[in-house]
Amino acid sequence: MKLKNLFLSLFLFFSISVYSKDFIIIQSTTSIANTGLLDLLASEFKNKTGISIRPIAVGTGNAIANAKRGDGDLLFVHSKKDELEFIDEGYGVQRYEVMYNKFILVGPKSDSLKISQEEDILSALKKIYNSEYKFISRDDNSGTHKKEQELWSLANIKTFDSDKYIKTGTSMASTLNIASEIDAYTISDKGTWLSFKNKNNLKILFEGGDELHNPYGIIAVNPEKFPHVEYNKSQKFIEWLIAGEGKDVINRFTYNGEKLFHTK
Amino acid sequence: MLTFEKIQSAVFITIYVSIFSTLIAFFLSMIFGYLIAIYQFQLKKPIVIFLSSLTSIPPVCAGLLVYILISRSGPLGWMEILYSPIAMIIAQIVIIFPIMITLIIKNIEEDYPIYRDELISYGASKKDIIFILFSNKTNIYITVLLLGFGRAISEYGAAAIVGGSIDHFTRNMTATIALETSKGNVSLGIILGVILISLTLLISISLNFLNKK
Repeated sequence: MKLKNLFLSLFLFFSISVYSKDFIIIQSTTSIANTGLLDLLASEFKNKTGISIRPIAVGTGNAIANAKRGDGDLLFVHSKKDELEFIDEGYGVQRYEVMYNKFILVGPKSDSLKISQEEDILSALKKIYNSEYKFISRDDNSGTHKKEQELWSLANIKTFDSDKYIKTGTSMASTLNIASEIDAYTISDKGTWLSFKNKNNLKILFEGGDELHNPYGIIAVNPEKFPHVEYNKSQKFIEWLIAGEGKDVINRFTYNGEKLFHTK
Repeated sequence: MLTFEKIQSAVFITIYVSIFSTLIAFFLSMIFGYLIAIYQFQLKKPIVIFLSSLTSIPPVCAGLLVYILISRSGPLGWMEILYSPIAMIIAQIVIIFPIMITLIIKNIEEDYPIYRDELISYGASKKDIIFILFSNKTNIYITVLLLGFGRAISEYGAAAIVGGSIDHFTRNMTATIALETSKGNVSLGIILGVILISLTLLISISLNFLNKK
């Protein structure tokens, strides 16, 4: 009899969570999810439409790979080049730019290299490269990692001494944790930095300039490629996000009084 | 408070996912464990060796295996269970089933001949022997259940990969600890860590107590 009850509850459990699909899965980046923005957007959207949102927070590269396997209805990431490629390959329908923030260079408070006096980010990176200090790379194909690689190549630097160039392969916040422990430099998006709680010795040493612009785009996964995706619900979310109240939610979203993301 | 709510949801998800995975894995190990232990067949030895080597499968590998199967592009993608508690339960079963079945096989295999030789002289049929053996092994079942449950609640990697660590839906205690610690929110990690360690401690104390009996 106990067994019968078990099966019954299992059956109910299966039917509830599988067959009523009033949700969409968003493949997203850690910078949107870990700051708390995505949770806020999800709960406001649910109040409005009854559709729940299940965010998967991984790096941009990982999110794109998951979406290409059909494991998501929406892609909300920050690497424009890869996003356009995603659409060109037929996986996505159209890219909408949702919001932006800035990348920043963080490092030890003492700033003995005087990075904060540099004119632009490329010369700041060259200075770190030529110094004794360590630089930490995300090394996880995230949007931030891709930006970092782009900056190094703009600065014409191709080879790294492995003692000084540390690859963490983990999220932005974990990477910041490591940077603060070993007094190293790293590139972060400003949203994660502002909501990061363990800053210790770290501070922003360089910000600003076009090279550090960080736009976030959203793309609905192409239903022609994956017939199971919830295209209409995804499109509803996109519209709500770029033209409706979603925009206000993003603009209202602050951490300790500072805005983390800006809409156009 | 927000923190309290986070803890509550993580504890709830951990416990219900692990209870389901433990019960299902237990059910499977009872059936197949008894069959393998009692019957003699050709591939018996390789199967037992294979199962016992799987007892130390790293959770991330179990997670990856289940992920490949249930991803939309995988053979079981049509079930649409990726990023759901069901996926977490399956991944945990992959981890704990080998542990549970190996224990059952080992115990039954040792005791079955003793019971058989003893009971056959009283004219008991094979069915009777298995039934008596089955009802005399409650201690083992509890040990197996507790071991499986202990491993399921403390595992990190498997459920996180296939569950997607979705807040209030598939984010269990170990995933919350990893995430919050990485965000620099160490205190929440510590609170959850203490709860988790207390749970595993409780389990190991009960195990100890049972074994003494």
